[in-house]
Amino acid sequence: MDLIHAFLNLVPVTLSQSLIYSFIALGIMIPFRLLSFPDLTSEGAFPLGGCVCAAFLLAGYTPLLATVAGALTGVAAGAATALIHLRFRINPLLSGILVFTGLYSVNMRVLGRSNVALFSTDNIFARINPDILTNVGLQIVTFAIILGAVFLVLRWYLMTQSGTAMRVIGINPELAPSLGINPWAYTVAGLGIASGLTALGGALIVQLQGYADVGMGTGILINGLASLVIGETLTGRRTVLRQLLAPVVGAVVYYQLLSLALSLGLQPSDLKIATAALVLVTLGLPFLRERGALRETMRA
Amino acid sequence: MDPQVAASARGPAHAAPLLACEGLKKTFNAGQASARPALDGLDLAVDRGDFIVVIGSNGAGKSTLLNTIAGAIEPDTGTLTLDGRDITRLPAHRRAGMIARVFQDPMIGTAAAMTIEENLALAERRGKGHGFAFNLNAANRRRYRELLAGLELGMENRLSTPVAQLSGGQRQALSLVMASLSKPALLLLDEHTAALDPRTADLVMAMTRRLVAEQALTTLMVTHNMRQAIETGNRLIMMDAGRVRDDIHGAEKSSLTPADLARKFKIENDRMLLES
Repeated sequence: MDLIHAFLNLVPVTLSQSLIYSFIALGIMIPFRLLSFPDLTSEGAFPLGGCVCAAFLLAGYTPLLATVAGALTGVAAGAATALIHLRFRINPLLSGILVFTGLYSVNMRVLGRSNVALFSTDNIFARINPDILTNVGLQIVTFAIILGAVFLVLRWYLMTQSGTAMRVIGINPELAPSLGINPWAYTVAGLGIASGLTALGGALIVQLQGYADVGMGTGILINGLASLVIGETLTGRRTVLRQLLAPVVGAVVYYQLLSLALSLGLQPSDLKIATAALVLVTLGLPFLRERGALRETMRA
Repeated sequence: MDPQVAASARGPAHAAPLLACEGLKKTFNAGQASARPALDGLDLAVDRGDFIVVIGSNGAGKSTLLNTIAGAIEPDTGTLTLDGRDITRLPAHRRAGMIARVFQDPMIGTAAAMTIEENLALAERRGKGHGFAFNLNAANRRRYRELLAGLELGMENRLSTPVAQLSGGQRQALSLVMASLSKPALLLLDEHTAALDPRTADLVMAMTRRLVAEQALTTLMVTHNMRQAIETGNRLIMMDAGRVRDDIHGAEKSSLTPADLARKFKIENDRMLLES
């Protein structure tokens, strides 16, 4: 019962963190689901946002400027992946790998060393309310408000003519130009927005944790993807609203599952294979079920 | 004849063709063993109000011609002039305001995961840009309901149904409505009934004639269906080896019989056999 107790004690802290990880899951959902572009940039955009934010804070800039700068460098990274794919016709996966591999060196340069502590610098949360960093309840409310605002903007955008046009790129890329939709512009903008959200998550998390690390991106992509697919099994993908809710709901559930696994005695280093297996099962089961159903009908 | 006299003889509104294709050449896989010219110096002038039916055997370059006009394929050489403007190097999405098309594959002409009304709203903004106003509102929903009710396709009460749930014929009909919604200067139909069963193909074809006539759309239609070729349009062009081999118009087109067409087509095929 001690194990369950330990898990329950962690629920609020995990919830607080998962609200920030929701930004990354949203940043993965946009290219994967809305643009049908398997974009791996987040693996580099997440630490980029964190490292740039940290560097700005260490240089004495205001936390708001540091956070915005972190997010904007993410936009640039996402746009770079899109342009590499569009301009040189390089496979989307490889385009993303090129960008996040290169970004490792950039992050190292930006940070100056592999990790820095930010306990003595100014901090966006301390600016909002000094108690946020110590009061988990307040954290959850604050993060929920920021996330809610971003969510509403995305929800609004996807209902506009422009947002609908962007979805056509993912649904039917051949149709898009004949409707007057510029595939380049929307792919660059979509991947830019997505990696911008991921980098914003990175900028917020370094300020919450009080340190930045160039290695903080490792595995973030698969965590975001796991959040997305778990969320989709809960919300479905039938409407734009459900598709948009999936990464948020999924991130909240996924990080609680991780926390549960840890309190049950799993080693942190074991979590990666557990997550990989989870994604595999979630993505693979519907396929197996479909084939099973097909076999049943064949037999009947 | 003096060119000015020639122009005035056709009336002032027809002073220049709406679309002029001049010396269009396109070779796929250039430099490789599989290289073959799909367009081989094609010339074609499309007048305002023309409804041109394009026929020709497989590989004659019909689809390449339509794709080149739409901007999906860039010609190696030659020029395209639409309404006096050189559009040869203009990307497809920037021609969309002037040129609308319906594809052969019902899956391509619509966004399957979107609803009927979402598709219509997108099509209505063709060439006007997609801005930050809501894609759907009470006014355009009402307009689409009335528009579809007038077409008697049974889609007017299914505006919020995803297009994926429609039949192939309904999707082609919707695709046709979408193409005509923004009043394009030029409508391209690329074997748009070929994937449908004969009865549905006839329905879509009847709707095509009606929309083209009502809106006086200048139209280029590729077909393999000889009956359609005879019954439709004011002009018929026969393509072979990337060029226009025959251009039948006026009284000759309106009195064309299946036998005439079969004879001409046979001649073309024999000529092709001799040349290959």
